[in-house]
Amino acid sequence: MMLYGPLFVWLALSIFGPYDVTQGVSSKLLYIHVPTVWVAYLGYSLTFLYSLMYFFTKKPKYDSIAVANAKSGVIFTIVTLLAGSYWGKQTWGTWWVWGDARLNLTAILLLVYLGYVASRQFNKDLAKTAKNSSFVGIFGIIQIPILHFSVIWWRSVHQQASILSQETVTSGDAPMSTDILITLLLSVLLVTLVHVFLTKRFRVSNDIMWDDYLNPKSRAKI
Amino acid sequence: MLVVYASTVIASRNTIYYYTTSETLDIETSKNERIKLGGFVVENSISKDGEFTSFTITDGNKDIKIIFDGFIPDLFQENMGVILDGVFDDDTFFADDMLVKHDNEYVSSDGETYNVENYSK
Repeated sequence: MMLYGPLFVWLALSIFGPYDVTQGVSSKLLYIHVPTVWVAYLGYSLTFLYSLMYFFTKKPKYDSIAVANAKSGVIFTIVTLLAGSYWGKQTWGTWWVWGDARLNLTAILLLVYLGYVASRQFNKDLAKTAKNSSFVGIFGIIQIPILHFSVIWWRSVHQQASILSQETVTSGDAPMSTDILITLLLSVLLVTLVHVFLTKRFRVSNDIMWDDYLNPKSRAKI
Repeated sequence: MLVVYASTVIASRNTIYYYTTSETLDIETSKNERIKLGGFVVENSISKDGEFTSFTITDGNKDIKIIFDGFIPDLFQENMGVILDGVFDDDTFFADDMLVKHDNEYVSSDGETYNVENYSK
């Protein structure tokens, strides 16, 4: 139930929150699109960290946490792409821009981690699978800095960063009204909580798989 | 990894998704060669004539007259950034595809207006 609390408050905030007067109501998608992609980055960063720890220590616990974070990251990447695509239709006038680096790289990001999660089903030897996954978990992280700077390196349709830009960080002022900024930051906090409880839930099933693998006789086989 | 590398290389070869109006001075476009052109819609320049909408876009340096025939997104208005897809005929750009480029500013109806100049005082 800890999972649904933040989820509902976040959705209520997104529905009743303030919006940009030029863009209209569709700009409320900001509270969905931005927090979900940030938390997806957070998830993949933790996958990176725990993959690294698994790689060096081979402790099943770390693999479990790495996979749980990647699963949650995949869910939030799908949400950010759907929300972003719909937002694009409302403001730019199109669902997708094939020439835009950020859009394409985010789609690739999703495919890489979807592959990471899916490929774990292919091999019964969990220790081998975990080792292979840890490679993807470690190298997959390279995409995130590329994605962050994509809007600066390649001129395109996607807007520049509002919060995580050099201008905002040095001046301390985001190009947003205070009420929009506060709603956005609250949304980020709530989505982070959703992520934490979601990964906890995923970890349980991962731990069971590891337990089955390490102690095959401890469980009654049907 | 290979996918990331390949996409980075491909993306960096096409670093420009659209030309600014000033940049069109430096490029030669033959007739019927489609390009993407970006700029801000000049105030009081929009007029409708049948199915065609004409307006002027600028990057603050060079103005280009646009004749547009296609789907106009709701957000299209004066001072808005747009990216157009079409062809040049002399100095007029004939376009049939438009993307509205929104900036990174968010101003609510009852929140105070963000203005860089307010902070420099």
